[in-house]
Amino acid sequence: MKKNAFYLFMGSIALILLAVFWYSVEIHNPLFIEVAFIVGIVLVYYAKTRVTDLIDDERSAKITEQAMLRTFQVFWVVFCAFSIGAVMQILYVPQFPRDYLANKPHELLSPKLMGYFQLSLLCLMIFLYVGFRIYYARKYGDWETDEE
Amino acid sequence: MKNKIKVFRAMHDLTQEDLAQAIGVTRQTILAIEKGKYVPSLDLAFRISRYFRVNIEEVFMYDDEPAGTGP
Repeated sequence: MKKNAFYLFMGSIALILLAVFWYSVEIHNPLFIEVAFIVGIVLVYYAKTRVTDLIDDERSAKITEQAMLRTFQVFWVVFCAFSIGAVMQILYVPQFPRDYLANKPHELLSPKLMGYFQLSLLCLMIFLYVGFRIYYARKYGDWETDEE
Repeated sequence: MKNKIKVFRAMHDLTQEDLAQAIGVTRQTILAIEKGKYVPSLDLAFRISRYFRVNIEEVFMYDDEPAGTGP
């Protein structure tokens, strides 16, 4: 498989996943998109091993490695900080439950809202990774030009 | 780490693309090494020097003196 064919295949997978996502929403069954997502990613990984003109050398591996490392270093701190907040709210047992229920304080972030926030953090992780990848690609000379 | 890849390429009349294909990396990697933006692994350094049939020290020089020092 050629590189361009692989990119087209990847685009098709993304479109199919989007369609499956909407179908899952329509029938209100998350199982479809969950299974489809795993199958889609496995297919992409498999197709990548069949690409003949894509050279993945040690410099590109290092760029990926460094970008991943920095993304996780930032991500786990932010993710854990908010997750700890959610766990604190779940574990909280009021000393005087009757008073607490009568005058229930307004929750800044409910556990459900915290779940949405964690999901958005996962999506933001992609942008963080892209940012770090651009930084390291530039650092290791991806956009250097030469006389040749 | 300094290197003389550009010199050896010129001696062998090779383009960056030719050398990259011969040792299985991208042209951008050869360019990055030549410009000092990327320090190759020991394995890649050996592959480059063996391709030119010289010792690794003839292609790569360890630059241990900080700039502005010396006798």
